[in-house]
Amino acid sequence: MLKIGVIGLGKMGMLHMINATRFRNVVIVAAADASKKRLHNAAVLGAKNLFSDFRELLELDLDAVIISLPNFLHRESIELALENGMNVFVEKPMARTTEECRSIVNAVEKSGRKLMVGHCMRFFDMVREMKGTLDNGNLGQLENVTLENIVSGPFSYGDIPQPVPEWWFDPEKVGGGALLDIGYHLIDLYRFFAGDCHLLSSHLKHKFNMPVEDTAIAVVQSDKSSSSGIIHVGWYQQMVLSRNDMRVILHGDYAYISSEQFEPSNVYAYAIKEGVKNVFRKIGGRRIRPLTFSQHLDAYEQELKHFFNCLEKDLEPSVTAIDGLRTLEVIEEAYRRDKRVIVGD
Amino acid sequence: MSLVEAKNQDELAKYVSKALSLLDLKLDKSIKKVVIKPNLCYYWSAATGYTTDPRLVEAIIDVIRENYGQHLDIKIAEADASAMRTKHAFQMLGYTKLAERKEVELVNLSKDVIEERKVTVNGVKLSYQIPKLLLEADLFVNVPKLKVMREVAITCALKNLFGAIAYPRKVEYHPNLNEAIIGVCTILKPDLTIVDGLIALGRVPFRLNLIMASADPFSIDWIAAQIMGYNPSKIKFLRIAVKEELVDPKNIAAVGENISKFARAFPRNNYFTSKLLYNTQLGLLKIYNKVIADSVSRSMEEQ
Repeated sequence: MLKIGVIGLGKMGMLHMINATRFRNVVIVAAADASKKRLHNAAVLGAKNLFSDFRELLELDLDAVIISLPNFLHRESIELALENGMNVFVEKPMARTTEECRSIVNAVEKSGRKLMVGHCMRFFDMVREMKGTLDNGNLGQLENVTLENIVSGPFSYGDIPQPVPEWWFDPEKVGGGALLDIGYHLIDLYRFFAGDCHLLSSHLKHKFNMPVEDTAIAVVQSDKSSSSGIIHVGWYQQMVLSRNDMRVILHGDYAYISSEQFEPSNVYAYAIKEGVKNVFRKIGGRRIRPLTFSQHLDAYEQELKHFFNCLEKDLEPSVTAIDGLRTLEVIEEAYRRDKRVIVGD
Repeated sequence: MSLVEAKNQDELAKYVSKALSLLDLKLDKSIKKVVIKPNLCYYWSAATGYTTDPRLVEAIIDVIRENYGQHLDIKIAEADASAMRTKHAFQMLGYTKLAERKEVELVNLSKDVIEERKVTVNGVKLSYQIPKLLLEADLFVNVPKLKVMREVAITCALKNLFGAIAYPRKVEYHPNLNEAIIGVCTILKPDLTIVDGLIALGRVPFRLNLIMASADPFSIDWIAAQIMGYNPSKIKFLRIAVKEELVDPKNIAAVGENISKFARAFPRNNYFTSKLLYNTQLGLLKIYNKVIADSVSRSMEEQ
């Protein structure tokens, strides 16, 4: 049985915790968050040791920790966990800068422990199917990948209105804007399809007059092939009931494939159908399948399942600290070209 | 009250002047302190129909200066909301740049001097933190957005005054929102209301190109409701206003453009259907979350 601690109980941390409770080979023994209310929620989910300071949790004897803290606390918490002999699953981005990422890569090597970064989009059903089609050679030679994802970012508006946490507005604490938040996923996806890449050009926009970008357009080029990628991300979706504005298109010299081909024509009808199935699964005592497409909830479960499987079988996770570093290198290059002050420079 | 079609949005000052000239305004010419209260309910731009267009506020500043002198103390004021922090909204929505350009001051009413006030409306006892700045202004200009709202059908002049309450967590008033809106309007009395109906929000955002103006915010909401396709006498907070004798519908008259011209164009939102659909969806999701527990409910995200 793997003994797990969960650090940071915001939306992502709590989602990981909920998912972790469904694995039979995992027991959540501790949780840490600055909020008492969130700690109470963690206690309801079974965490017995609760801490308002994550550093205290990291003194326990645990197999692994799931870290979903604000970006500026990633490096410190990861390195402390590794020093104390724990394996780490960390939410993306792995850190704010390449300097922090390199430090984490070194810490992983030194500790001999495993680190997996939550590059959840690699675990989307549609992405896996697209990767399979590409790898089978059905598209011919991959020439271009178009990736776009427009979201509300930190500015989504819920039915229980909550202020956006202040660290999102602090460029030093957050480390970047839409490119670091969402572009990070898409750059990693490009790497998933086409291998390592470098930045050709980028354009960062500041529609909301913030120090960090709210929109980014980047063009990347594969290091090993003629394939290029066009990435467009934004935090400018401004609506109460948000839409899943995401698509990936793989253009080969024989055929192309779009993520939209894999999506149900009516996401809501699909969600209702799957939801009803889950209710019957629950009644029948079977394992539920978290809803996909509307929020891609299944991908978060799959990535965690993969991480725990790697711990049990002593395998290297499919997303490592190197993936975090390579992705950050592209982002940081875009920031340098934008004459942005990089944290730590 | 007046209605003006603002066809060319590069000439907003001209349309604001026209809207004011159609009114029989009796404003004191010796004003010194001006406070303008836009609707910055969240960080979403004026193009979405949620927030007041800073270009309209800029035009209002120009018109006020033209009529009352260049050396006025002009402030743009907004209060924090349950999910919005004014300092960020000012920056993100272009008000910080506007303030620098027009040399006016930005004020967060939630951080300013307040007065505690208590009122009873429709049998509901209410207490408020009222910003003194709005009570002491020589010219208090209310600049709401024209939009529908799931909770109370419409939001315009009166709801924008509710937004001026200094206490940020205004969602706590929502169980008695209709009474709370009217309650604050018995305390805060703008000298002028100029409505941003340039991009209005109905079922979807819509370029309505409308500017409305009046010294009476109740009249504004009465006509705004008609434009948005509602019978104002069926809107609860307006019914309460009539009952409390804050407005007499018989005395409301619109000059300028015809109401029906804008009402025909407005993308109507069926209040009851949209509320029912939203609540059903939310209710089902809550039940599903409780039974299946595959996602994080909003209440779990609370700090």
